[in-house]
Amino acid sequence: MIDFSAFNDALGIMFTSAGSWGWIVPGLIVGLVFSAIPGISITMAMAIVLPMSLYMDFFSAIVFLTSVYTGAGFGGSVPAILMNIPGSPSSFATTFDGYAMSQKGEHNEALGYALFASTLCGIAGYVLLLLVIEPLADIVLRIGPVEMFAVAIWGMMLLGSLGSAYISRGLLAAALGILLGTVGMNTAGFTRGTLGLPVLLDGIAPIPAMIGLLAASQLLSLASRDYIIEAEGSREVSLRKILKGCWGTMKYPGVLLRGSIIGIIIGAVPGVGSSIGNLIAYAETKRTAKDSATFGKGNPKGVIAAESAVASGEGGSMATMLALGIPGGGATAILIAAFMMHNIVPGPSFIETQKPMVYAIILNNIVQAIVLLAVGIGFIYVASNIMKVRTRYVLPAILVIATLGTFAVTGEAAGPITLFVFALLGYALNRYQYPVSAVVVGILLGRMLETEFLRSYQLSGGNPLYILERPGAMAIFAVMFASLAMTAWGKRKQNRAEAAEALAMEKLRDEAAAHAAHTTPSKG
Amino acid sequence: MTHFTRRDLFKISAGGVAVASGMVAMPSILRAATYPSRPINVIVPFATGGYNDRLSRAFMPYLEQELGQPLVIVNKPGAGTQLGNSYALNQPADGYSILCTSAAPYIPLTVLLQNAPYKVEDFTMINLPSRDYTLAATSSGGPVKTFAEVIEKLKKDPSSLSIGVQPASADYANMVLAFQAAGIDPSKLRIVTYDGGGPARNATAGAQVDVGFVGGEGFLPLKSKIRPLAIFAAEKVDWFPDAPLIGATLKTDFVEGSQRGWAVSTKLTKEQPEIYKILVAAVEKASKNPKAIETLKLQELATTWYGPEASNKAYLDNAAKMAKYVDLLK
Repeated sequence: MIDFSAFNDALGIMFTSAGSWGWIVPGLIVGLVFSAIPGISITMAMAIVLPMSLYMDFFSAIVFLTSVYTGAGFGGSVPAILMNIPGSPSSFATTFDGYAMSQKGEHNEALGYALFASTLCGIAGYVLLLLVIEPLADIVLRIGPVEMFAVAIWGMMLLGSLGSAYISRGLLAAALGILLGTVGMNTAGFTRGTLGLPVLLDGIAPIPAMIGLLAASQLLSLASRDYIIEAEGSREVSLRKILKGCWGTMKYPGVLLRGSIIGIIIGAVPGVGSSIGNLIAYAETKRTAKDSATFGKGNPKGVIAAESAVASGEGGSMATMLALGIPGGGATAILIAAFMMHNIVPGPSFIETQKPMVYAIILNNIVQAIVLLAVGIGFIYVASNIMKVRTRYVLPAILVIATLGTFAVTGEAAGPITLFVFALLGYALNRYQYPVSAVVVGILLGRMLETEFLRSYQLSGGNPLYILERPGAMAIFAVMFASLAMTAWGKRKQNRAEAAEALAMEKLRDEAAAHAAHTTPSKG
Repeated sequence: MTHFTRRDLFKISAGGVAVASGMVAMPSILRAATYPSRPINVIVPFATGGYNDRLSRAFMPYLEQELGQPLVIVNKPGAGTQLGNSYALNQPADGYSILCTSAAPYIPLTVLLQNAPYKVEDFTMINLPSRDYTLAATSSGGPVKTFAEVIEKLKKDPSSLSIGVQPASADYANMVLAFQAAGIDPSKLRIVTYDGGGPARNATAGAQVDVGFVGGEGFLPLKSKIRPLAIFAAEKVDWFPDAPLIGATLKTDFVEGSQRGWAVSTKLTKEQPEIYKILVAAVEKASKNPKAIETLKLQELATTWYGPEASNKAYLDNAAKMAKYVDLLK
């Protein structure tokens, strides 16, 4: 729980180092802009500015870097909503409903929903972190391979929500994605599918692959239009509508809460990163929603669920970093390096001896989330103007920027080549109606599925009863199956109710017809 | 189908680069007299934020001071340093590209296990200040108290304890050597593999595995969460004095862990010995700068000056031992 004297000292640090507050806005803008460029991930954005932070004093450097982190968490959803191209893997689930909304002319509202969900849940994540940082850290270390495998399976259940004309093609596409995700050297040191290329030893770079798969099909389908949105009246950029979206977010506290809890827990687990929380939050929200049929067709709840998990995951990831000195994902690995470069080693002893500093960092992140609201509205207002530009100018520009972005990630031609190869694959998949999103989910989760399954097998010595020794894993599976069963039951009830209703309607119609038949002759 | 593999093409193109750079090479004395006249690239074959990246950035101002030219850090991560190492060897041997890398065990490992297109001898060390050793450890609350206890339990039942380790690493070789010396069949153990030191350490500290074999230095921030059982070093390690030496429990051969620091291509030392000398002198002076020692110590980075001779010997010894035990690594 909160240590109040340390909390007071933290407020002291916050106000005596007011100069460092000046770094919040530049940090947010850097994060927003970089992560909105397709192909540059949150980690990459932070790696770019890390050397810069060396020349600042400690608190300013941390404020600047965490601001980039906060901004980058939201920035990726802008291209996801406007163009169906996620800026980074963590905004993949935002495309499902965000882009559908923007096609209906509701892009202003969609961005508003995303921004406000991001802000609110970012704050929620950090407030919770303030309360439970130490116990959370201990729980996180106890999460083993079996639990992680359960989480990965949970992520795969998103496939059921993607919807495709043919189930068989959806499963095949997912299998292809998982296979592609396991290319390279696995955790046991075996090398598969690298074609002898040293760059593939670390696996297929997920970001260029994802951009290639999604962007190629998307850009091709956009190329046939004059503007991203065809209806001229819908292309407006309206502050009023953005704010309306922001306000509308408050109507879904349940979605926000569920997204935040999923985001915090998954964000806190070392090595998972932010790209999985949004998938699980989206799938769970869709499955438990009464109007699940409208998901993927522009339901604001889909946008809110995905964004809330991304934003709150940041708090979870920071908890693991501060309390244990272990990076939850790539972005916190950069933050640890920044700490070390200022002679501070995060970990158990840091939390014991420097609690006020830890609280000050957390408080500052809450401030950043609030500032993000203002900066974010300005950013989406400017970025939305892309709707008014003809696609013949937008598309080549995006293609060039995305190629440069993927080049920046690896610093080698490997990035753009991956992009190109996967663009062709994406085109072929689309042409034959295989769901591209299923391949992306497979690529994002394939490695984790394999690694954790293999480790579970090694740890248990092949004995399936080992799961009985892992109450955590059993709980995750139990919740997952319970949620599945409840949905199935709910669906059945709903179907029955619908069938009953249809029957009643039919009866009514028959009666009306009979009545009409009965009355007609008398008229004539 | 032609019979060119990508590696053949690579070799041909690398040869082409070498020929081209040979043609434009000025007499070496003329070059050395003006060296360095422009910024020098420091190639780090790891991503931003790793040990070598932090070492290079922290050491940079002091080395710049000695060389009188700015340094530019170039991160080339991937394929267990193979991409960065190949990149470094492809640069002209003019002293404007130096490496800050984990020479051991990564260079020998990429050569032995990944058929990297270079030899161990293609690299010459300037100084390897950071020396890491395999540490066998358990979670601080765990039931096992000593390494002797581990051996006793595993002798009775090889599946009684789970072992966490990174495959194809010095730690893996040490684990196998130790258990073979104790008369335990390693193939009967419950070994859980991790693709990096970090995940293996987390699993050890969180009691996911009963015993972890992993580089000891990385454990320092998590020191309160683990109990050291044995460190695979010949003498007491000054950054982990309370770790018992493996020799105290068991007579076994072992491989030293990571050796990190500064290196250049061997081609530079042959074609431009004067420039190599300038670099060695600059690194030595910077390593002995009291301010550098103080700053790097605060960041838990090493500055010890062993010099090129001792560093090369340590590096080549490690490579030879890795080659000897290569079958254990596969």
